[in-house]
Amino acid sequence: MVERKKGLVLAAAVIVALALVPFFTVREYVFSILCMLFLYVTLSQSWNILGGYTGQINVGQAAFFGMGALVARLLWVAGVPFYLSILAGGLGSVILAIIIGLPALKLRGHYFAIGTLAVATIAQITVGNILPGISFLPAQQMATYSLIPRYYVFLIIMAAALAVIYFTVNSRVGLGMEATRDDEEAAQMVGVNTFKYKMIAFLISSFFAGLAGGGFAYFNASYYWYLPFTLMWCFEPILIVFIGGVGSFLGPVIGSVCYVLLKELFALTLGEANLLIFGIVFILTILFFPKGVIGLPAKLRQLFYRRGNVVGR
Amino acid sequence: MLEITGIDVFHGDLQAVWDVSLIIEGKGITTLIGSNGSGKSTVLATIAGLLKPVRGSISFDGVRIDTLPAHKIVDAGIAMVPEGRRLFREMTVMDNLEMGAITKRARQMKNETMAWIFDVFPILKERARQRADTLSGGEQQMLAIGRSLMSQPRLLLVDELSLGLAPVVVQKISQTLDEINKTKGIGIFLVEQNVVMALELAETGHIIENGRIVGTGKASELLASDQVRQAYLGMEGE
Amino acid sequence: MEFAQYITYGVINGSLYALVAIGLALIMGIMGIFNIAQGSLAMIAAYGSVLFFQHMKIDPFVSLALTLPGMFLVGVFMYLTMFMSMNKFDPGQKLRNSMLVSFGLVLIMETLATILWTANERTVTTAYSGTVMALGDLRIPYTGIATIILAIVVIFGLHFFLKHTTFGKSIWAVSQDHDCAMLMGINVKRTTLVAFGLGIALSAFAGAVVSLHTVSPAVGIDWTNKALILIVLAGVGSINGILFAGLLLGIVEALGVYLVGVHYTGVVGLLIFIIVLMLRPQGLFVRKAGV
Repeated sequence: MVERKKGLVLAAAVIVALALVPFFTVREYVFSILCMLFLYVTLSQSWNILGGYTGQINVGQAAFFGMGALVARLLWVAGVPFYLSILAGGLGSVILAIIIGLPALKLRGHYFAIGTLAVATIAQITVGNILPGISFLPAQQMATYSLIPRYYVFLIIMAAALAVIYFTVNSRVGLGMEATRDDEEAAQMVGVNTFKYKMIAFLISSFFAGLAGGGFAYFNASYYWYLPFTLMWCFEPILIVFIGGVGSFLGPVIGSVCYVLLKELFALTLGEANLLIFGIVFILTILFFPKGVIGLPAKLRQLFYRRGNVVGR
Repeated sequence: MLEITGIDVFHGDLQAVWDVSLIIEGKGITTLIGSNGSGKSTVLATIAGLLKPVRGSISFDGVRIDTLPAHKIVDAGIAMVPEGRRLFREMTVMDNLEMGAITKRARQMKNETMAWIFDVFPILKERARQRADTLSGGEQQMLAIGRSLMSQPRLLLVDELSLGLAPVVVQKISQTLDEINKTKGIGIFLVEQNVVMALELAETGHIIENGRIVGTGKASELLASDQVRQAYLGMEGE
Repeated sequence: MEFAQYITYGVINGSLYALVAIGLALIMGIMGIFNIAQGSLAMIAAYGSVLFFQHMKIDPFVSLALTLPGMFLVGVFMYLTMFMSMNKFDPGQKLRNSMLVSFGLVLIMETLATILWTANERTVTTAYSGTVMALGDLRIPYTGIATIILAIVVIFGLHFFLKHTTFGKSIWAVSQDHDCAMLMGINVKRTTLVAFGLGIALSAFAGAVVSLHTVSPAVGIDWTNKALILIVLAGVGSINGILFAGLLLGIVEALGVYLVGVHYTGVVGLLIFIIVLMLRPQGLFVRKAGV
């Protein structure tokens, strides 16, 4: 209990410190990197509550991220106040999650993964067909553009996502989620309504993914309408959680820091082959650290005390 | 003759079998009895090659087999009827039998062997084109035995023959196993929790507790011994 | 009569979708490996066909004799270096890791194709390209007829192979019970390796057909998308179902184009996808739920 309190105080201190950053620097580069970091923490933590804690592998996070971005951007550009637009974006994602989740969450294993990925690819192609162009900000919004409010929006979304997800997974609801993940049939047998917990996790997950999308729509002066729907947004949160360690609360945070730095480094140094090298590193990470960076100490221990004798598989 | 010499076997980090040595005569019926979790199924899985011993060795008719992959052990003449039958559920009875005869030697004799198995278990012939998961528990066990016999083994390993079956069915199947042993000379190594059935069927018995062999003897003598009567049959010694 | 023309194109497109999806369905149903690079592999195979045609004037259907074994070897390489090590994981972890690795492959193949062959669209123009068979008012391109025949032969052929040959059945046995298959004497390592190679080799068929339409590095993920929809429609584990699901999607999309215009084909696909997910979540051609 004391440990936990200490952790919360520390987390609050970090958030406050981050809130003070704009008073010490005005370098745009720092802001934009931090904005991306906050975005990825939000997105990957929102994936983690469903994928890590509840065991449902959602490969369609881009659909919810994109939905949030699409709704928020359309409303905001049309003149609706931004805070309402972004909330509407989050709600849009939740509605999409209800439509997809009601049928899909009744299924197990492969189906949920394929189904959500299919939804994301369909959404990307459809948005690309209907809105093939670029979304520009109207002149008057362009004139007042500044990174500082964007920075705070991302920070607030991240803090809210971390807080809500932290308290959810550490509550009775969180126990239900973990029971669902560990053995769904056994949980049902002792009367756990696993569908309810999966749905709760999915709704929280999609809401924050939608908010992150809204932040993306607010951050960028111009982008292709379909850009927030591209599949990178499906796989990045999974990879981040994967790097940091699945089903742990700090995993997505650690993973995001590693990921954003690595990505930035590659983009700066590698040019056209950037994605090629990125793909290779991506594969090597998964092959050699199948349990993520958090599994690294256990892996080292295993190397030194090699005793396993199970073969054949 | 199967010769197990001082094997240690692990499940991951947990040691399940400690320094087990056994000699199983080629032509007879031998049983290994023990309670749940005593390590008896681990011994069987190690003979079949699903697990590898960390120490010790296993040889069959003078050929060392513990270094071979599982499918080569089938080739060497040892087949296993796995615990819980593990049929290919979506396949027909015929196809399940065909999967038993996958090694080159077995494939050449496939039709003859299948005819013999239909002779031994006539019910399988009637059900030949049915899916395996539509069979009753007893029929499934017959199919599992028949499937393993398709590989023309010289030694048949049977893991928990009686599991989940009615006593009448168990008796019938164990009689059939006895006949197969007597008429075809196929050795049988049976691992069982049902101690009475196992010791009545077998000639030789071994007792395993906590991963170690704690008793060996003629089956009939073991059945009468205080050790077995107290530990497994819940009877007081005389 | 225009209506029938749309349906004809729907059937042709649907056959092509099925050709792309069949390899993914095989690998997923048999091995639990989620290879989302299947569409990108078809794209690479299609470039193979384009290059053989441009440099050596080999017809795409003839160069299958080279692209099929080529893609098989690619599959063998992929399996040995990346996917074989995942067999020790539980199904969920295997699914996730294989999906992530194959997404890495998508990035690599797309970037590599762009560097090697630019982002421009390419196509093979044979003597029979653009020629049509006239049935009354109906115009059926010969390449379309070839696509339909190829899809039928490949998919029913694969079904026959799995259900009626000893090697095919042993692949199927391994997918049902890996350890028990070993106990039967099946060489599980070799069987899974060949099955995976076969699944990847199937992308060469799709590639040959795609090369007669248009290829660009970005099409890979579009083909994967169609394949995913087909697998949900058919149900995981269904082989013949893929063909019917392909025809269904192709025809429904064609109806969508006919009724509401070309921009909304994706929406039409999404709609039948969600309807099927709601009404028959295990897929249209699979008996039981749960995978």
